[in-house]
Amino acid sequence: MMRTRRRDRHKGHRAPVFLVAFVTFVALVVFVSVVAAQNAAGSVWDGVYTDAQAKRGEAIYYERCAACHGSDLEGGDMTPALVGGVFTSNWNDLSVGDLFERIRISMPLDRPSSLSRQQTADVVGFLFKANRWPAGATELPRDLEPLKEITIQAVKP
Amino acid sequence: MSRKVTRTALAFISLVVGFLWVAVGVSGQNGQPSTRNGEWPHYNADLKGTRYSPLDQIDASNFDKLEVAWRFKTDNFGPFPEYKLEGTPLMVKGVLYTTAGTRRSVIALDAKNGELIWAHSYREGKRAAASPRQLSGRGVAYWTDGKGDERVLYVTTGYRLVALNAKTGSMINSFGTGGVVDLKLGVVKGVNQQIDLETGEIAVHSTPTVVGDLVIIGAAMREGATVPTHNNTKGLVRAFNARTGKQVWRFNTIPAPGEFGAETWENGSLATNGNVGVWNQITVDEELGLVYLPVETPTSDYYGGHRPGNNLFAESIVAVELKTGKRRWHYQLVHHPVWNYDMPAPPVIADVVVDGKPRKVVAQLTKQAWAYVLDRVTGEPIWPIVERPVPQSDVPGEKTSPTQPHVTKPPAYARSVLKMPDDLIDFTPEMRTRAIDILKRYRLADTPFNPPMLGDLKGMLGAIVPATATNWPGGGYDPENGILFAPAGNTFGVRTLVAPPAGYSDIRYVSGIAGRPFVEVWGPGDCCAADAGISSRENLPQRYAPPAGGAPAPPVPGLNVDGLPVVKPPYGLLAAIDLNRGELLWQTPHGDTPDNIRNHPLLKGMNIPKTGQPGTAGVGMVVTKTLVIMGDPQITTLPGRTRGAMLRAYDKRTGQQVGAVWMPAIQSGSPMTYMLDGKQYIIVAVSGGAYSGEYLAFGLPGNDDDR
Repeated sequence: MMRTRRRDRHKGHRAPVFLVAFVTFVALVVFVSVVAAQNAAGSVWDGVYTDAQAKRGEAIYYERCAACHGSDLEGGDMTPALVGGVFTSNWNDLSVGDLFERIRISMPLDRPSSLSRQQTADVVGFLFKANRWPAGATELPRDLEPLKEITIQAVKP
Repeated sequence: MSRKVTRTALAFISLVVGFLWVAVGVSGQNGQPSTRNGEWPHYNADLKGTRYSPLDQIDASNFDKLEVAWRFKTDNFGPFPEYKLEGTPLMVKGVLYTTAGTRRSVIALDAKNGELIWAHSYREGKRAAASPRQLSGRGVAYWTDGKGDERVLYVTTGYRLVALNAKTGSMINSFGTGGVVDLKLGVVKGVNQQIDLETGEIAVHSTPTVVGDLVIIGAAMREGATVPTHNNTKGLVRAFNARTGKQVWRFNTIPAPGEFGAETWENGSLATNGNVGVWNQITVDEELGLVYLPVETPTSDYYGGHRPGNNLFAESIVAVELKTGKRRWHYQLVHHPVWNYDMPAPPVIADVVVDGKPRKVVAQLTKQAWAYVLDRVTGEPIWPIVERPVPQSDVPGEKTSPTQPHVTKPPAYARSVLKMPDDLIDFTPEMRTRAIDILKRYRLADTPFNPPMLGDLKGMLGAIVPATATNWPGGGYDPENGILFAPAGNTFGVRTLVAPPAGYSDIRYVSGIAGRPFVEVWGPGDCCAADAGISSRENLPQRYAPPAGGAPAPPVPGLNVDGLPVVKPPYGLLAAIDLNRGELLWQTPHGDTPDNIRNHPLLKGMNIPKTGQPGTAGVGMVVTKTLVIMGDPQITTLPGRTRGAMLRAYDKRTGQQVGAVWMPAIQSGSPMTYMLDGKQYIIVAVSGGAYSGEYLAFGLPGNDDDR
């Protein structure tokens, strides 16, 4: 009786320790991977496109996008601006992948999906340049998965 | 004994009378649907443009408790998702009818749970791709004979009127040709020149107006900032028989030679000019038998050198007879329009008491922030609207009107002129100073009728005009208290003209500025149909090429100080106007302070009051027994909640915000409300940014027996 109880108590004591250790471990793994992900890709403030890419994107923008979104990217009567407050609040906290997919699927409205993935990535690079997010050494990729790892943050973290 | 019989008889009679009254009152006249029994039978709730429903289950005490009852995603009603869903569903007898998707499909949904009952789509190919007004549009119209024949009517992106069986969604064979009336037939440009049935420029976003057995339909053309010709399609309004599709009458918004008003197009210019559509909702006073047409801008938007004269019926309210379409009266709000002020909202029909006398009025909200209030029997202003001299254009070839009508009462419900320096940003004295400097490069006027000018990047940048105060969603009206509600942007815009590149246009000046490459301006409705892909844009005469190695063209310094609007808040507001007294009742900022202002480094540590959002011109409302309900036009990421936009409820008497619920995207179509099985719902269309079109239905948390 006593033994059993003690054993029970003993067991009962060990279980929380194990649980706490496990939870801590999982939390640590999650934390580390989140931090790692942020370090690896991070936000639009981390130089995620190149100047050359933005330059290519600019040419595409004026050919395919400017008629609706304006030569200063300021938008039109009923077209959203692609610089400034409306743009950054529209996309704040979303991923670059979200923006990329939005353009790839539905833009330009007169001929959706007619930009290649590379052209789409270049246009996104130009939009980042126009929003004064810094250029860096590597180009924005043309694949969705890595783009999903980059967050759009209106305010520098 | 006899007294008892009498009493019983009386009770019985009053019961019968009461029953009859309820039966008649509730079901409306002749079996017609009505907001009185919880339905929403017209785009604007009724023919008067009120957006008012007397429902009261949702009120100040419980608005915060609203939850999503069901949602309906519209992605697959077209080959690609739509991000600009603008419809307001109708609700009749427990079924919702509306448009959806880039194909502008028509859908019928169970109003209880959003289940799709039927869907209809009409494939038009190149005709849809060429349409100047594409995407899903604002919804549909409903007609019934009251005896079981129920129809849904809508206009396709390619400008065909289609009649559907409301129960099945199938096309009504006896209507037009197989359920279709080709609305391009009879539409002209130049002098009586039929436009091309496939590529001819005309379409419409607004819903048909059904009144009795008539279906009234307006017209819209391309956005007119940089169009290739002034000799484009001429506007018109037509009424068709709802049973047969036969045309009953037609009203030309640009008079034919010899018709009333033809002389207001001097030098015979009516032969070579177009536009002047009626693109907004048309309202009707059935008792008076009058239809109120909100007529828009002539071509081109900002330059009228090819059309000297006042240009009737551009930018006028025209009252035509319901039975014949004959003009009864007109009132021109803007002579010789060169501001694209349009007639951006449905005329609202109101019965009020002015100076002790009952008055039948029509009230028009505008981009220039004035509510024009007219006697709707005669067209005479209720309060003085005064012709005042205005600054004259110095653009070569342009001859602006020497005077323009100025509203004296009610006062402007948002900014209609920029008051220097009082309206300028004043968070800090330094910002005010910079704003004054910025405005030195713009031409100002003490009237909204500040003529467009030739802008030059090296000199003056343009003329300051009110940015759109109220736009297509229009306002709302509380018939119990005689209050008109107006959503309003409260900032300013710039009008500047430039000669187009050689060969681009027969219009001498178009929107643009010297010193920058010319860019053709497209509206969202110009280019986006399900069948898009046949684009004239490929043939643009001049393409922008970034200068090799050099800096791109310098940007135009805009009306902002380091990204902050050059004017002080509020940037957008909701206003209430007492139409009995012609006075502003209240104004309140609408929408949370935008992120970029709340987080602006220059404003750190300052206490910024709620600024409202500049896009408020683009949102509409529903008015109920106690509330005005309207959503945010801009996404915000506030501490403590997920990024999103709020659907807000205001006490309609005071303007106090009494509740708000979260939405995943901005309000892109005006809300409506209805009652079904004892539960009140609010539906609002949301979309924009990363979020594709969705109808959200809100209701109060239900009991379990709702399931």
